[in-house]
Amino acid sequence: MTVPVADRPASRPFAVRRFFARHTIGLIGLTILLCAVSAALFAPWIAPHPPSAVNLMARLAPPAWVEGGSMTHLLGTDNLGRDILSRVIYGAQVSLSVGAGAVVLGAIIGSSVGLLAGYFGGWVDAVLSFLINVQLSFPFTLLAIFLLASFGGGFVSVVVVVALATWVNYARVVRGQVMSVTNQDYVEAARTVGVPTLRILRHYILPNILSPIIVVASFSMAQAILTEAALSFLGVGVGGTQPSWGMMLNDGRNYLQNAWWMTAMPGIATALTVLAGNLCGDWLQDRTDPRLRK
Amino acid sequence: MKLHRSLTAGLVALTLAMPAHTAWSQDAEPVVIASSEDVISLDPHMLDSNNPTGSVIWSVFDSLVRRAPDGTSVPRLATEWERVDDVTWRFKLREGVTFSNGEPFNAAAVQVNFARMNTAPFNSVQQLHDQTGLTEVRIIDDYTIELVTEKPTVNMLYWLAEAFIAAPDYITNTAPDVVASAPVGSGPYVLGEWNRGDSLTLVANDAYWGGAPAVKTVTFRAIPEVSSRLNELRAGTVDLVVGITPDSAEQANSDVSDLVRIEGLRKMHMGISIKGEQPALADVRVRQALNHAVDVPTIVASLMGGSTSPLVSIVNPPNNNPDLTPFAYDPEKAKALLAEAGFPDGFPLTLQWSTRFDGGKEVSEVVGAYLEQVGIQPTYEAVEIGQFRAGLSSASLKGIYFQGWAALINPSVELVILTCGHVDNSSGYCNPEYDKLVIEASQTLDDQARQKLEFAAQEIIWNDAPWLYLWRLPSFFGISKELSYEFRADNYLEPYLITYK
Amino acid sequence: MPLFLFKRFLQALLVLIGVSFSTFIVAHMTGDPVELMARENATLEDKQALREFLGLDRPLAEQYLSFVGKALQGDLGYSFVQQAPVTQLIAERLPATLLLAAAGFVLALLISVPLGIIIALKRNTVWDVVVTALAMIGQAAPGFWIGLMLVVLFAVELKLLPVSGYGGPLYLVLPAITLALQSAARLTRLVRASMLEVLNADYIRTARSKGLRERTILFIHAFRGAMIPVVTMAGLELAELVSGAFITETIFAWPGVGRLAVNAVYQRDFPLIQGVVLMAAAFFVIINFLVDVLYVVIDPRVKLK
Repeated sequence: MTVPVADRPASRPFAVRRFFARHTIGLIGLTILLCAVSAALFAPWIAPHPPSAVNLMARLAPPAWVEGGSMTHLLGTDNLGRDILSRVIYGAQVSLSVGAGAVVLGAIIGSSVGLLAGYFGGWVDAVLSFLINVQLSFPFTLLAIFLLASFGGGFVSVVVVVALATWVNYARVVRGQVMSVTNQDYVEAARTVGVPTLRILRHYILPNILSPIIVVASFSMAQAILTEAALSFLGVGVGGTQPSWGMMLNDGRNYLQNAWWMTAMPGIATALTVLAGNLCGDWLQDRTDPRLRK
Repeated sequence: MKLHRSLTAGLVALTLAMPAHTAWSQDAEPVVIASSEDVISLDPHMLDSNNPTGSVIWSVFDSLVRRAPDGTSVPRLATEWERVDDVTWRFKLREGVTFSNGEPFNAAAVQVNFARMNTAPFNSVQQLHDQTGLTEVRIIDDYTIELVTEKPTVNMLYWLAEAFIAAPDYITNTAPDVVASAPVGSGPYVLGEWNRGDSLTLVANDAYWGGAPAVKTVTFRAIPEVSSRLNELRAGTVDLVVGITPDSAEQANSDVSDLVRIEGLRKMHMGISIKGEQPALADVRVRQALNHAVDVPTIVASLMGGSTSPLVSIVNPPNNNPDLTPFAYDPEKAKALLAEAGFPDGFPLTLQWSTRFDGGKEVSEVVGAYLEQVGIQPTYEAVEIGQFRAGLSSASLKGIYFQGWAALINPSVELVILTCGHVDNSSGYCNPEYDKLVIEASQTLDDQARQKLEFAAQEIIWNDAPWLYLWRLPSFFGISKELSYEFRADNYLEPYLITYK
Repeated sequence: MPLFLFKRFLQALLVLIGVSFSTFIVAHMTGDPVELMARENATLEDKQALREFLGLDRPLAEQYLSFVGKALQGDLGYSFVQQAPVTQLIAERLPATLLLAAAGFVLALLISVPLGIIIALKRNTVWDVVVTALAMIGQAAPGFWIGLMLVVLFAVELKLLPVSGYGGPLYLVLPAITLALQSAARLTRLVRASMLEVLNADYIRTARSKGLRERTILFIHAFRGAMIPVVTMAGLELAELVSGAFITETIFAWPGVGRLAVNAVYQRDFPLIQGVVLMAAAFFVIINFLVDVLYVVIDPRVKLK
């Protein structure tokens, strides 16, 4: 067992070091996310080529460091001769937007359901819990294809589908948290003296559920990016003019043996970003869960 | 602990439930064929896709005539035929043929089968009656029938090749799900074992009227991933692979297998939706500009690996009008045409494709990149196959779309799809002058006169450009070095013609 | 106990009805199956005849009620496309699916539980960092990519295992590993986290202060406590494996329910869609019930209510 370090006044270098030691995980995660976000934001300035510039004469060129590669295409080209580095950079735009969109939508739906169920209890809870159960028992892959088959692929559809896959996570966490807060004496007291419901929700409940929501959100962000990739595999991805990492991974599926870089590059980008999301989630959980705080 | 034990027991039980792989008997080497899809239903009258379900049905059942790889009709259950008058065909039937359950094949069997094809649900899948205008099956004697059509037709033999004859009593008196899973035909093979979603095994019918096939056991396996199919071929665990994409074609060449390339018949194009969301497409100059803007020969040489050639007409050789030439790649001319039509700065255009044909995404993206060069602003959209088909049949796709039509050699069928309001006319193209020529041709029995009409129609449609013409869809197959087989352009496999080297 | 069972049964029934109803609605939203089944140039009359033949011309409410009525008698109808009873089609595929799910699940548990415990005990050592990092990466890599890479490595390059197909035990290895890896990664981290939480809990401290042997504390007290969240999660994972192995099934040409289901959706084969979704939901409900029962076995403090 490690002995908890007693808090003591520390010299500046020590404090800095301790800060880094305690937040390594979070810092790594945040750094990767920051890189991905900057790639997305500044893509037009960073990317060496337009992402959809086809060059049929330069198909399947390997990365620069591999024999036959050149510095023109640092990470090589794909089956249509498009620059993979540029596509990975631009891909961040779509993949991160899907992640962010799904997180926001999922969080709104899930938290509202959880909040209502937890706060009002009784039959409201019963009905909403039933909804949660139905959603959970519905095989996700099928639901996704269903919806995409009905409404067609595209950015909005994919965001909705991923949000549908993740809202339950928020609902369950928020419901539990709200229930435990609602039973606290001070909330009960506020209720008895007739403080308006909205006010109670805003002042007592919301601050308490914010941190679990953020934790779930960072995990869901990771899940969303992976789900987008899986949907691309099923042929119902985001589509559109711009590449997403999932789409690139899927494009490279038949080239694993003769052009591994087509899948490796977007694969690494996906894995790193998902990793970053999970790292941030872990870190936030450690920070905000009082039981784990040392 | 208890839980642990019962889990283990469950696993053991499951392991026992797995089928032992018995197919590998040593005496006659079975042939394993891999394709991407499952065999769906073995009801011969529910057949609508050709591979692998079609290949199985072609093997278990016979039709009156066989469509040879070059598109001509050769005898199968019918030994000879003649046209009695404009609307009547007379067929002599093969004698001494029995179905695998012992029922005899005769004129009555044909009548029963054709009648079944014309009832729901089969009539929404079967083409025979609709395409030929067949109204009556007349029994002359036990081995002679006459087929009477509403109007003169040149398509009778073509569609008879896809009208399969099953044992008449059996299909009449058996539950539909049994008919669909336990087929009884007169073909060169009978069904051995069928593990849905995994494999289907055919066993040679040694009593086949055409002689027993060389390959005694044929197994069709469903392997969705093209890379897996190729890897199996290279490992020698699969002998014949169907559905290889152009880019991975080279991988079919290995020390145990060869790549076979067949220049296909299906005419691939970007359909131009004249009534879609982009009104500019209604202008013939715009449609011609699109054709001039895309460098089809270069795409064929690179993306398609030189495996096919650009379209030269909407009718397949040898019936194409030889005076037509492909639109030259000329971006300047394309820009000029666009400017002339009033779109000097181009316009937004949606490119759509479905999963129906491999490579829809790549092709659309390449075509889009070329169109961008002449000022058009492309957006891309993958469409789910059901939605896509609905869009095709209502001619309501958005802009231009990747599609292929008519993998056949029959100018009449090839031309009719672009007539006004035809169900296959997904462009929404309508030109009465063209329609008149096509209809007249389909009712002209004199070969030379008909060809003249067809050539004229081809010229009109080519220059009106309801399609952005691409190429003929090539087919790639992989085959074990130990086998020889002549592949067909239409992707059907006839395993009874496979031989060992 | 009987009351508990009865309540759970009612709940399960409600959920199944909810699922079947939403499936019915969503399936019909995908469009008209006749458009897909009929040949591309069928006439309107032909299509209408087909619609009547399939019973799709009836009012929606009637279609749904007739489905429920038959389903209660164990008849899930006929597949439009395959012309075979839905129950038969599912039954044919179920062994392959269960085998793969069971193998993947057991493998995931075999990897994750011991590993999670070990790194929880060796917290903040190199082991912890390395294993946690591996688990994180395993969790971050898209499943189909892992599957395809495994094929290239073990089947194509090393030629140790078959590329694809359904046959002897060797055929099971790669798909099971593909399925297990992601589950294992998630579970390992969960086992670690809940083990750590339990080790700090009061009752373990009490046990320690009573001077119980460390081994007894770990395996009798801590392990049991730590398994509760793991069991919940593992239940969800198993349910997902039964219905959601489509990608793995596709890569390895495994004749499971996942591929059947996805094809059914693409072909708008309504009866088959209904059947598969109901089956998956039933599995989910059953697994959840088993999870609840397991709680009692693991943690004597939990009473079924």
